[in-house]
Amino acid sequence: MTSNNLHVDALVVGGGIAGMQAALDLADQGYRVALVEKEASIGGKMIALSKVFPTLDCCSCITTPKMSAVAHHKNIQLLTYCKVQSINKNGSGFKADVVKKPRYVDETLCTGCRQCEYACPIDLPAAFDLNLGAHRAVRVPFSTAVPQYAVLDIQNCILCGKCETICPVDAIDFTQSPQEFEIEAETIVLASGYELTPTDAKKEYGGGQLPNVVNALVMERLLAPTGPYGHVLRPGDGKEPESIAYVQCAGSRDQSLGVEYCSRVCCMYAIKQAMLLSGALPLADITIYYMDIRTFGKGYEQFYQNAQAMGIEFVKGKVARITEDEDHNPIVRVELIDEGSPVVERTHDLVVLSVGMLPGYNPQTIFGVPVADDGFVTLPSPNISPCVTGQPGIFVTGTAAGPMDIVDSIVLAGSAASEAAAYLQAHRQPELVGDLRVTANEKKERVHA
Amino acid sequence: MSKEDAKKRTAILKRLREEHKDTVAGAQALLKEQKAIRRQICQAMRDAPKTVPEVAETTGLPANQVLWHITAMKKYDLAVETGMCGEYYLYQLVEEEKK
Repeated sequence: MTSNNLHVDALVVGGGIAGMQAALDLADQGYRVALVEKEASIGGKMIALSKVFPTLDCCSCITTPKMSAVAHHKNIQLLTYCKVQSINKNGSGFKADVVKKPRYVDETLCTGCRQCEYACPIDLPAAFDLNLGAHRAVRVPFSTAVPQYAVLDIQNCILCGKCETICPVDAIDFTQSPQEFEIEAETIVLASGYELTPTDAKKEYGGGQLPNVVNALVMERLLAPTGPYGHVLRPGDGKEPESIAYVQCAGSRDQSLGVEYCSRVCCMYAIKQAMLLSGALPLADITIYYMDIRTFGKGYEQFYQNAQAMGIEFVKGKVARITEDEDHNPIVRVELIDEGSPVVERTHDLVVLSVGMLPGYNPQTIFGVPVADDGFVTLPSPNISPCVTGQPGIFVTGTAAGPMDIVDSIVLAGSAASEAAAYLQAHRQPELVGDLRVTANEKKERVHA
Repeated sequence: MSKEDAKKRTAILKRLREEHKDTVAGAQALLKEQKAIRRQICQAMRDAPKTVPEVAETTGLPANQVLWHITAMKKYDLAVETGMCGEYYLYQLVEEEKK
């Protein structure tokens, strides 16, 4: 990005699956879109997942073409490693002040060959692999990153210059500094995504303390073909687990955590992972401890029944606590409700906490978009306008609006793109509605009614 | 690289080292610690392929730390898997495999 002033029709904030879909839907209609992503690559959380439910399609196989489509679309200006600092009303549109963090790599030269990464002497916990594996201080974010450029983490660099010496195209550039620029857009789509309930939120479950109690996103990485170990191994000692348990509602539907809502995806991802584990470890016993199983979508109930037929054990009961034995095997204390409610302790090799979804970002300060008590964006008319925020011209999609799965995120992204396109049209030309000539402003008000 | 370019590069790195002296010092300390751990792990794996618990027992390092380092070594082609022993994978140094 070299231009200091960028004029586009729509600014999409967030390069996860919802942001990418909204950007593509707008761009395909001929609108010019700027997609701003704070990380060094687009793809969001979806690109790190193993497979999607209920079809068990490979996540990477679905997401990578979309990432590529975004990067190569003539109407999309992709701005990675950038953050929106502030938004100001600019006539009928918006002016966004954006800062681009320095990669310390010249994007016009870098070919993503990773020679710098191999030359770098320091290993750091890899955020993409949720710290299970390592990456170097200078690295390509992950194998299918878009754009495929290296990024140098100056905060963990010893500045030895090895990367600069070995780079065949002289792309390492230690002189880079943050660059500020402006984007003028008529409409904004927020797709800022979600974060997980912290693994250590429920102290009684030992997440973050017990090495073999992990969250479901960790299991996604263990199951992914590009995962850190190349196999499903427990992080405590590399053992191939023979007994794996899931604890449902470990970060949602829980007043004590202040997360009272159902996160909607935990039941399905636990069932999906259990099925994948059955394939990866055919001899392993897999247990899901649950309060309710919520399989609300098309084909989801059948998916659940298939899992039962495969021999996955579903145990009704809320887990009280998790401890461990001297070999770091987690011990789950639970009441078996369907068996006369005895309280038992069961030992497993690995326990997965089905943690819930929290909003990833609060858009109140910068975008002036109000958020509800649960932290997700307030929707004035959630039933009939699920993408329209309280701020005219700003729309929301994906998990910034509330917990939802990939299917719903994509549906909502299409909806947000349609709303944004309608808003843009309403801005540009008066039109006839019945016998009344509706001005752009009147139509804008109607969209936000 | 010309002499002038090399001089410029050295000056830039020197200035950056001064600007980021705290983080550079932290990263250098981490690197030193990592090298010491790697030496122990490589020593333990030198003679024959080992599992993570075996390396942990030989070195006295926590098993999860050993696994993390072996995972990193595998990623950057310094170690490879060479089959299984019970429920654990065996890992071998790449230089040993080449012999």
